[in-house]
Amino acid sequence: MTYSAKLIDHYENPRNIGSFDKNSEEVGTGLVGAPACGDVMKLQIRVGADGLIEDAKFKTFGCGSAIASSSLVTEWVKGKTLDEAGTIKNTDIARHLALPPVKIHCSVLAEDAIKAAIADYRAKMIKKDEPAAAAE
Amino acid sequence: MLKGLQSKLTDIVVNGDLDHRIPGNLNISFAYVEGESLMMGIKNLAVSSGSACTSASLEPSYVLRALGVEEEMAHTSLRIGLGRFTTEHEVDTAVDELVHHVNKLREMSPLWEMAQEGIDIKSIEWAAH
Repeated sequence: MTYSAKLIDHYENPRNIGSFDKNSEEVGTGLVGAPACGDVMKLQIRVGADGLIEDAKFKTFGCGSAIASSSLVTEWVKGKTLDEAGTIKNTDIARHLALPPVKIHCSVLAEDAIKAAIADYRAKMIKKDEPAAAAE
Repeated sequence: MLKGLQSKLTDIVVNGDLDHRIPGNLNISFAYVEGESLMMGIKNLAVSSGSACTSASLEPSYVLRALGVEEEMAHTSLRIGLGRFTTEHEVDTAVDELVHHVNKLREMSPLWEMAQEGIDIKSIEWAAH
């Protein structure tokens, strides 16, 4: 498989590997894919009080394209609002990394991972507000 | 080579019978690490992922599946062949390179992380795309 220089760079020097505490209020966690498919991505965002994503971390089980796609996404979401991060498209990821056609699904999974992390964070926000709403 | 790998790595499985196989052939599943990503790391070694016939395809090898390799391990296998010219020193350096990259990729693997936390990966309901 011939990969672009950018993709290889993300594989050799992945950005933001690691984990946040998934129980933290500020953290949204997206876990997508399946071992049987050969691709599993865990993407986490930490959202600041101002509503901006201040940090992101990932771990991926998958091929070079999967690793590069998720690494790239952790770079792209930083500094964005949840809405902005939710607009990141797999086609942008695929184009940036020059993914071979047979690996496009890796960029789709990365897009799913961000959306799952955002949804998880939002669900936590709603849960946080519920006791207050019930008291009203 | 197998002894070297087994002495330095946990969670590796040889696929196929150890006695009834071609001498010089090893097919090993490295749990929690995907085969292609491992191949990308071991730049000084020429190996294939899955089984020889399926290395270029994305599907897990039907040969491995027929051997009973479980789904979670299907994508973690490498086929390694030693030839008549392979030296002992080369085997040693190959072991070191493999061990180095398996460890590096396990640090990056959410599945390894879950296994370390005691989570049974087979019990998770994956939201596959």
